[in-house]
Amino acid sequence: MKVTIQQWNGVASWLWVANDENCGICRMSFNGCCPDCKVPGDDCPLVWGQCSHCFHMHCILKWLNSQQVQQQCPMCRQEWKFKE
Amino acid sequence: MEDVAMEPDSVDLSGPEPHHRVSAAWDAVTAELVSADPSMSDRDLSDALALLSRRGLSRLLGPWLLETLQLRLSSSVVPEFWSGLHQPENELQERDRALVLLRAFRTLLDRLDPFLNGLQRLGTWQEEGRGGLSGPGPRGLRERAFTSIRALLLFSPVPVLQERVLEFYSRTFSIYMKPQGGEEGGPAAPEGSDDPQASEGGACPGCGVPAPACWCQEAMELLQELSQMLWRLQLLQWVSTEAVTSILHRLIEQRMEQHCRGEYERSFLLDFQEWLELVLGWLSKVFIGEKDGDCDGDGAAPGGPGGPGSTVLKQWRCHMHQFFCKTYVSMRIEELFSIIRDFPESKAAIEDLKFCLERTNQRQQLLSSLKSAFESRLLHPGVHTSDILTVYISAIKALRELDPSMVILHVACQPIRKYLRTRHDTVRQIVAGLTGDSEGCSDLAAELSRGDPVTLEMQDSDDEGAGPEDWTPDPTDAVPDKTGSKRRSSDIISLLVSIYGSKDIFIDEYRAVLADRLLHQLNYNTAREIRNVELLKLRFGDSHMHYCEVMLKDMADSRRINSNIREEEQRLSEEEQPPLSLSAIILSSEFWPSLKEEKLELPPVVCQAMEAYTHRYEKLKAMRTLSWKPHLGSVTLNVELEDRTLIDLTVSPIHAAIILHFQDKSSWTLEELSAQMGAPQELLHRKLALWQQHGVLREEAPGRYCVVETGSSGERLERGVMLIDSDEERDSNTTTQSEQREEKLQLFWAYIQAMLTNLDSMTLERIHSMLRMFVATGPVVTEMDVNELEAFLQRKVRDHQLIQSAGVYRLPKSN
Repeated sequence: MKVTIQQWNGVASWLWVANDENCGICRMSFNGCCPDCKVPGDDCPLVWGQCSHCFHMHCILKWLNSQQVQQQCPMCRQEWKFKE
Repeated sequence: MEDVAMEPDSVDLSGPEPHHRVSAAWDAVTAELVSADPSMSDRDLSDALALLSRRGLSRLLGPWLLETLQLRLSSSVVPEFWSGLHQPENELQERDRALVLLRAFRTLLDRLDPFLNGLQRLGTWQEEGRGGLSGPGPRGLRERAFTSIRALLLFSPVPVLQERVLEFYSRTFSIYMKPQGGEEGGPAAPEGSDDPQASEGGACPGCGVPAPACWCQEAMELLQELSQMLWRLQLLQWVSTEAVTSILHRLIEQRMEQHCRGEYERSFLLDFQEWLELVLGWLSKVFIGEKDGDCDGDGAAPGGPGGPGSTVLKQWRCHMHQFFCKTYVSMRIEELFSIIRDFPESKAAIEDLKFCLERTNQRQQLLSSLKSAFESRLLHPGVHTSDILTVYISAIKALRELDPSMVILHVACQPIRKYLRTRHDTVRQIVAGLTGDSEGCSDLAAELSRGDPVTLEMQDSDDEGAGPEDWTPDPTDAVPDKTGSKRRSSDIISLLVSIYGSKDIFIDEYRAVLADRLLHQLNYNTAREIRNVELLKLRFGDSHMHYCEVMLKDMADSRRINSNIREEEQRLSEEEQPPLSLSAIILSSEFWPSLKEEKLELPPVVCQAMEAYTHRYEKLKAMRTLSWKPHLGSVTLNVELEDRTLIDLTVSPIHAAIILHFQDKSSWTLEELSAQMGAPQELLHRKLALWQQHGVLREEAPGRYCVVETGSSGERLERGVMLIDSDEERDSNTTTQSEQREEKLQLFWAYIQAMLTNLDSMTLERIHSMLRMFVATGPVVTEMDVNELEAFLQRKVRDHQLIQSAGVYRLPKSN
């Protein structure tokens, strides 16, 4: 017997490769989106800091904008620098 | 003469004239009054009258005449009339019976005629004031005379009179109605009516006797004569009304039974109107005396109709119309369930019913009858949910036509809504109907695309705002509730969705159905789903449909990613080409309904392909990866056996995995397969059935399967028949509504345990209210009613996780 597979339609779900489940700022799932967004994924990406903490991009930007003096990671209070 | 007895004492008998002259004058005048042909000269009469007046006797003339009439009536005329009706030797044939009837009335009229004439004459004298006469005039005298006649004649009517009259009228009616076909059908028809029948030679349809003996024309003449006699005696109303009414009622009912029952697709109002006009033609024959009589009787005698004959006809028309409406409504009320079931076809019946219902007082009857029809014919376990929904939708449409205020709809359909709430698959059926893939309620999909309720209702409210004069109050049978008539919606989808009182249940169910549909699709074609979602958005609002939109977007994204990856693969060299063409639907897991988890190890070749795919995806989307759901999806494959090839089979991944394993090794036991694939044995056993059915595999020993390389088709067929029931059940990939609810309740279990640990024991109501108070996590709690909680707790009791005694729940003592 010989079985030839012509087409395999699989189902998968995507997820962020992050060390946490939820965004530390909005407490929403990384795989979801930040409260201001409607669509997850490309439209609401994650960003990592050099301290290795990660957040929804929109959340951390909002946080950084509200910081007057020094821009710190909200989790570890180190100076926030985007990880390249 | 005997009338001397009634001369009062006060009369002054002593006077210039001698007694004999007074007596002679009295005799002359009374004889003149009752004689058939008056012979006295005017002068003599005036002299006699003057003489009587002088002696004060003239005012006694009226009472004397009436008294004489009464005596004559009771002593001879009435007995003669009744015995005239009973003539056994003449009662054999209908025609003879009619003649007897006529003869009796003729005799009656003959006997009474002198008195009537006398009254007339006396009245005239009185009016003219001849010889100093005065009195109530002809009208007053006649009225009193007719009252006596009626009283004495019909005081104890014998049933035979009614029977005869009824029979005679029925006959003349059928004669009158008969020539409708050939002739103009008007009142003039009866004259020429017997000719066509004579030529036919059979029984005359009018009088029902063989054509040569037809007496149609005679009967019509007799009718005319009878009517005139009755009118002269002022008996028309009393003798005919009952017979005519019963004839007409019977005919209307008959006609309705024959023409309308079970026939909903045609309007009968106009037909009946025409028919009624025809009947009125006959009535005008019956009551014809009224018209003729009016001329010489100058206006009608009191007791008879006050105007020309058309007034009577008008009254009859009203009466018949009313009776028609009532009969029609009663009949349709009985049939309303069937009418509703056939609705778009039975629109004519609904419109007729609406017209008639407005003219009768039968709404209550309609409501209670319809309710009980629903309960007995629809709301029992033997009826499929989709059928109930279909009838409900028809009912909405039909009753919307019948009663624009929607009151009937809301009251009558209450039982349906209540019952649907108890059916578990209601939501799924409605959603399936909305998406247009259920067998029964295809109307729903059309209804969905018809328009959105917001704009529809806006129009309504605008109309109401425009004219306060147009406002109509609710009918009296409206159920007083907080939603006024304005809010009472007739939108089918809103009504269906509101069965459960909450949109969320529907949205969740729709999401589940949508997920199923998307996952079962082979291509990424989502045009129809997009349209549905857009339409639902109009109804439920954007925010509710947001998740569904993300799901659809995932489909579009997946398609793009697939083609990206496909392109990349094509750039690879020949030997690097993947062994398997893999495409994927990539879900945003947070936005899809929870998918069933099943453990399944796919064959290495598939796993490798998936890893490669994941790899490319990771390159495409930084910092993101894929988590495969191995049991979901679909596979198209060919199976080549030694003597046959199965081409383009589309199966689920687990089927594909099984057959791939058999490719490596032609015989497997259930245990081996289970170990290899990480799936439970019973599941595999079920899935193997598909391949057995295709004749590819065979169970050679219990629990041991092998490939059938060469097989006869007959054997295959036999296996197919044998295993058909174990074929895949096409189970849905999403968890069902009840399973999800179970999970939600499970969430509360922790709370309940904590409460019971602290408070030792609690009643059901207490637990429920505590949950409402503390677990305010959204709509979940408010939706949970006490009964549901009780069922949940009872399950826990059965599982020995809880103890119930004396109405309170407590946790079992540990150890």
